[in-house]
Amino acid sequence: MIRQLKLEFLKLIRSRSFLLSFIALTTFVALMLWGFYSYAERKAGEQVTQQFKYTYESKSYFNGLTFALYSVMFSFSLLIPIFVAMTAGAQIAGERQAGTLRMICVRPVSRVSLLLSKFLVVAFYAYLLVTFFIGLNLLVGLCFVGWGDLQLYPGALNLVDEPGKLARDEALLRFAYASLSGTWALLVIAAVAMLFSVLFESPAIATVATLALYLVFHIIGRVEFFEHLRPYFFTTDMDFWRDVFKPEIPWQSFRHYGSICGAYIFGILLLAIAIFDRKDITN
Amino acid sequence: MWAKVLLIALCLLMIGTAIHFDPLRQRSLLASGSHDGPHLRLITWNIGYAELENDSRAHTKDMQAVADAILSNDPDAVALQELTGTEQLNVLLSYLRGRYSGAVAPPGNSDRVEAVLVKGRNARFEQVPADGKYAIAASFHLQPQLPEIVLISAHADAFKAARRRVFTGEVVDWARNRPRRSIVLIGGDFNFELNPRDESHLYTDNIKDDSEAYSYALKYFRDLGRDAGYTAVDDRRIDYLFGLPEMVLLRRAEVLRSAGVGQMDHWPLLIEVAL
Repeated sequence: MIRQLKLEFLKLIRSRSFLLSFIALTTFVALMLWGFYSYAERKAGEQVTQQFKYTYESKSYFNGLTFALYSVMFSFSLLIPIFVAMTAGAQIAGERQAGTLRMICVRPVSRVSLLLSKFLVVAFYAYLLVTFFIGLNLLVGLCFVGWGDLQLYPGALNLVDEPGKLARDEALLRFAYASLSGTWALLVIAAVAMLFSVLFESPAIATVATLALYLVFHIIGRVEFFEHLRPYFFTTDMDFWRDVFKPEIPWQSFRHYGSICGAYIFGILLLAIAIFDRKDITN
Repeated sequence: MWAKVLLIALCLLMIGTAIHFDPLRQRSLLASGSHDGPHLRLITWNIGYAELENDSRAHTKDMQAVADAILSNDPDAVALQELTGTEQLNVLLSYLRGRYSGAVAPPGNSDRVEAVLVKGRNARFEQVPADGKYAIAASFHLQPQLPEIVLISAHADAFKAARRRVFTGEVVDWARNRPRRSIVLIGGDFNFELNPRDESHLYTDNIKDDSEAYSYALKYFRDLGRDAGYTAVDDRRIDYLFGLPEMVLLRRAEVLRSAGVGQMDHWPLLIEVAL
C-alpha cells in the first residue's frame, strides 16, 4: 500500500494538471488582490468615510485577514472544486484512456488498494491545494494589505447574525482549521469524481459529470423554488466548513454536517470500490 | 475485503455521529437574566398590505381587527407602520376604547405614515426626522419612579438599501442621543435583507448597505426579536425591535402569526422586557 501511495503521488506531481491548478490559484489571488485593493481605496478613502459615517468599511476593516477571508470564500465554492474534480476524475478513467489500467490490474495488487491509494493521494492533493491557497492569501494579505483583527458583519458572506470580531492570532488559527474543514468538504466532490472515474471511460466525461452534478446542486440550492429540497443536496452539507470563521464555532452543527459529509465520502467510495472490483476492463 | 468492511464501518459511524450531533436545538432568549423587575410589553406591526394590492397602505376596514389584536395582547406601547394618516389613527384609537393615546408622524416624502400608541394618556410625542421623512417617538413612564421610556416607530425604504442605511443611521443617532437615564427602544419595519443565501449573486451593494445599517443599529442596541423568527411573508424577518442591552432584560419575543388580517404581509412582533 505504501509503495502504491508513493507511485500514485509521483504520478500526481508529474501531471500537468497539478502545476496548472497551483498557477490558476495564484492568478486568482493576484486578481483578487487587484480588485480588493482598488475597492478598499475607493471605499475607505478619507473623503468617503468623512462623507458617510454609517459604513464599517474603514481602513481597519480592509486588512489582510479580510482579504484572505473573502478570497477563500469566493474561490471555495466555484474554483477549487474544479481542480479537485479534474484530478479525482482522471484517476481511473485516465489510466483506462492511457491503456495502463489493464496492465496495473494484472499485477499482484488488489483493485481495492489501487482505488484507495488513488483516493488518498487525491485527498492529500486537496489538502495541499487548500493549504497553499489559504497560505498564499494570508501571505499576500500581510505583504500588500497589512494585518489587523478580522471583523465580521451580518449579511456580508452570511457568517454571523450580529457584528463580531476575531483577534488576529485567533483568526489565523481559524484559517488553519479551515484548511482541514475545507479539505473534508472537498473530499465529497473527490469521492463523486472517483465514482464517475470508475463508471466512465474518459477522464473528461468523469470530470464534467462531477462538475455538472455539483453545479446543478449548488445553483438549485440557491433558487428559492427549491428551498424545500436544499437539505437533501450534498452541497448544503459541504457548507459546514465555513463555520470555523464564526466568532463562536457552532460545534454541534459543525460535527453534524461534517459527519454527513463523511457518510457521503465513505458511502460513495464504497460504491466506487464495489463497481470497480467487478468491472471488466476490456480496453 | 478488510477495506470494504472498514469503509462500511466508517460510513455507519459517520451516519451515527450525524444523528447524535443534531444541530436543531432549542432556541434561547437573549439575555434572560435571573432577576425580574416591572415588565414592559411592546408591539411593532406594519399593518400595510402586500405590494400586489392597489393600495398597499393600511386599510381602515381592518382597524377593528388591529384593535382587537392590540387589546388581547395588552401591550404598554405599540409602534405601527404604513397608516394612511391621522384619520385612520383616530378610527383605531376609537376601537381601542380610549385605553391608548397616539400620534402619527408627518408624511414627509412618503404617502404613508408611522404611528405610536401608548397605554394611558400621559405620553409625549415627538417627530424624528430621518432621510427626508419622519419617524415618531413616544415618551412615557411605566411607573412614576421608573426611568422614562422612549419608543420610536420607524419604517425604512422598502426598495433602496442605500436609503435604508441613511434612514437607520439617523434614527439610531437620534435614539442614542436621548437623555442617559431614558430607556430607548426602536421598533419598526426596516426591510433589511441580510441573507445572501437566497440571492443568486455572491455579493452586492444591497446586502452590504443593509449589513452596515443593521450593524450600526447593533453597535448601540440589541436586536430583541432575533430569535422570534420571520415577521413577514416569504419567511422574511424585516420587523425589528431594538433595545439598549444594559437597560432591559428580554422576557418574551414572539411573532403573533394569527393576528394578520386582509392582505397584510406582516405579523406583529411582541416583545416583553423586564426593566
